[in-house]
Amino acid sequence: MLVNWNYKERDTIVQKLDPRARLIFILLAIVAIILTWDLRILLLWLVLALLSLRLAKLTWKEMRRFWLVVLPIITFLVILTALTGRGGEEAYSEQHPLWQGTWILFGRTFSPSISIEQLFFAASQFARMLSMASLGLLIPFTTHPARYGVAFKGLGLSDKFAFATDLAFRFVPTLGRDFQTVLDAQRARGYEVERLGGGLAQQARNLAPLVIPITIGAILGAEDIIDAMDLRAFGTHKRTWVIELVYQHRDHWLIAAGVLLLGLTILLRSLGVIHFWTGIGIQ
Amino acid sequence: MTTPALIIQDLSYRYRTRQTLALHNCTFTASPGQIILIAGASGCGKTTLMRCINGLIPRSYKGGELAGRIEVLGQDPAAMSLAAISQLVGTLLQDPEKQIVGSYVLNEVAFGLENLGIPRPEIVRRVDETLAYLGISHLRDRETFALSGGEKQKVALAGVLAMQPDILLLDEPLASLDPASVQETLRVIRRLAEGGKTVLLIEHRVEDVLHIAPDRVLYLEEGEQRFFGPVADFLELADPAQVKLPAEHSARRARPREQPLPPPVPPADPQAPALVQFEDVHFWYTPERPVLHGVSAAIRAGDVIALLGANGAGKSTLVKHAICLLRPRQGRVLVANEDTRKVTAAQTARTVGYVFQSPTHMLFAPTVREELAFGPQNIGFTAAEVTENVAHALRVVNLQGLEETPPLSLSFGQQRRVGIAAILAMRSQILVMDEPTSGQDYRNYTGFMDAILAMRAQGNGAAPFQAVLFITHDIDLAVAYANRIWLFHDGRLAADGPPEEVLATDDLLQRCRVAPSSLVRLNRRLLPQTGRYRRAEALAPLLASS
Repeated sequence: MLVNWNYKERDTIVQKLDPRARLIFILLAIVAIILTWDLRILLLWLVLALLSLRLAKLTWKEMRRFWLVVLPIITFLVILTALTGRGGEEAYSEQHPLWQGTWILFGRTFSPSISIEQLFFAASQFARMLSMASLGLLIPFTTHPARYGVAFKGLGLSDKFAFATDLAFRFVPTLGRDFQTVLDAQRARGYEVERLGGGLAQQARNLAPLVIPITIGAILGAEDIIDAMDLRAFGTHKRTWVIELVYQHRDHWLIAAGVLLLGLTILLRSLGVIHFWTGIGIQ
Repeated sequence: MTTPALIIQDLSYRYRTRQTLALHNCTFTASPGQIILIAGASGCGKTTLMRCINGLIPRSYKGGELAGRIEVLGQDPAAMSLAAISQLVGTLLQDPEKQIVGSYVLNEVAFGLENLGIPRPEIVRRVDETLAYLGISHLRDRETFALSGGEKQKVALAGVLAMQPDILLLDEPLASLDPASVQETLRVIRRLAEGGKTVLLIEHRVEDVLHIAPDRVLYLEEGEQRFFGPVADFLELADPAQVKLPAEHSARRARPREQPLPPPVPPADPQAPALVQFEDVHFWYTPERPVLHGVSAAIRAGDVIALLGANGAGKSTLVKHAICLLRPRQGRVLVANEDTRKVTAAQTARTVGYVFQSPTHMLFAPTVREELAFGPQNIGFTAAEVTENVAHALRVVNLQGLEETPPLSLSFGQQRRVGIAAILAMRSQILVMDEPTSGQDYRNYTGFMDAILAMRAQGNGAAPFQAVLFITHDIDLAVAYANRIWLFHDGRLAADGPPEEVLATDDLLQRCRVAPSSLVRLNRRLLPQTGRYRRAEALAPLLASS
């Protein structure tokens, strides 16, 4: 059976907002962020995103596991892009070099260089990804697990797809629980995940005792869910959703704000007001 | 006479992938207000019959051959949609874990009604009514996955009842419940029948169901209907090796066995060295809710221990301490005289082998041979020893010849045996099993337990293990096989002693939410003659003479 996200009801403005309005706002905001390479604007977005985490009263302890995974990934991607110098070509054409080095690794010569453009590009990229991750993080932590289906239904998805999102959001924590059970069962057989060695292929093979039972379990579990849903007439009628979401004024304001921000971004972009920014030429 | 709610005539079915009929010769009727007990061993066709009535056959199981007549409230289900059938026939699946799809109790109970497109106020009214009827209104806003086993069962039932079906199919509703929850569930079933529902109750624990006096019994053996009629006649005809009858009936009607009954396990030597020692073990996940409060006990060579107690009493938590999956917050656990804080799970595996409840959680290898070699290789046996251990384990579970078969292609029963063999191949000194017999019928589980204990009895160092410990809800399993019982209640060891002592009075058992069975009562009565508790077949000669 499926396990819910560890969700806590908090008396905050974020949770009082309609989940549909929040999903729409987050979607619009993410599109606007994707369209923006201007560090000044991106820092504003980052402040807004962190502020909303704060408004939702999420504690570091709750978010720690998420950030421990996401922060290294973001950092790695940003450094990789900066060192290879790729990814920014469409944003800037001219570079002001700051440092040029020569490394010899494995008998090959690398000549990494850092320019002002690269630094600002990296900073922009970091701010973009961090803002988007923070906004995305809000969804599982502030959406009541019983409201995913009806919220996505409210965004115009069909009954089937809307209910599928409800199941999908619970799939991740369910995998987490199954992982623990399988790990325990294999540890009782002397399996030690800490001691796995060997090359990449060998390491992948060493994970089979975990991956295979979890996968088989997920497939069997899905079949059970299908039978249980069939027996209660899922997909035979237009569905009523027992939970009713009603837009309040504040929800309309939130959606309007999202539309406005995205519209403004598109307008300012086309006018050339916001663009990749390095601060060069300010003085 | 009232019109029957359900008419089954000459029903037979063959699955697409099978040669033989899964069900044949099935003919019976059921009227409103009746409880029909459908009894039989695993593979007798109970589940196939249920799928024919609720429409999963032929809709979800396509390509088979269905013959005969089914009439549900005067209608032919073949001509109806699954939605229409679901309003006449409600199905409670064997495992509530597999039935519940809603994230919260409210969503779960409303699920079927939502799918039928019923207006929202009507759904809410029916959900609240159903929850009140089952006495679980307080669960309305709870998360489904966090409920106890008994609560899940009731919530799953509420989800079925809210659709107001006239016929209820209950597939082994007692299988995953602790004894106290069994009694509650049975009372609910009786009340539903009194309210006019037709109840088809599939269960091989016949003894428990007799408490609510089913009106008729349908008895199936190997896909064929052997009997349909009143309970009294059924008890005179049923095979006690296939279904669990009250102890006196089992004892009287036990068929002569080809092999003599294995002797009961003698008590362990109290001076034998402790293999595992629990010293004042405390454990909690969160300090506000402790799971174990100071458990002290030892497992010695020669022990066959049954761990009894309600769900959530701390049984599995304690056992996980013996294999280093958990470590005590306070107190200590010694495995082979080593503090578990200083060793890893792999190191304790030589002393304690733990068979998890479901084989699907552990099977992964491409062949049975590799599956069995995995454990001994991990804990450092040499290649020659591994080969020998694997061959030995295969002989013990009787799976020789399947060495090169992928374990995942085997039947569920065979997979369970592979799961046991995988632990036996590590040659651990103690074999620990979590609910080794759940979901198996009497014949299967006695055969299995006899084989395990016969291994133990092999003397002169050939015995693959020195002690056995099993967690179970089946008090009769403890009576038949254990020489020692640990009775758990609320994170404490409420009693530790031989079955004759621990099970002697109802007071202690009831306090620990464990219900005495007819076998326990019969054993109490015959104790002066037997000197110790025995399984039903072993009591037969005494009953004949008395």
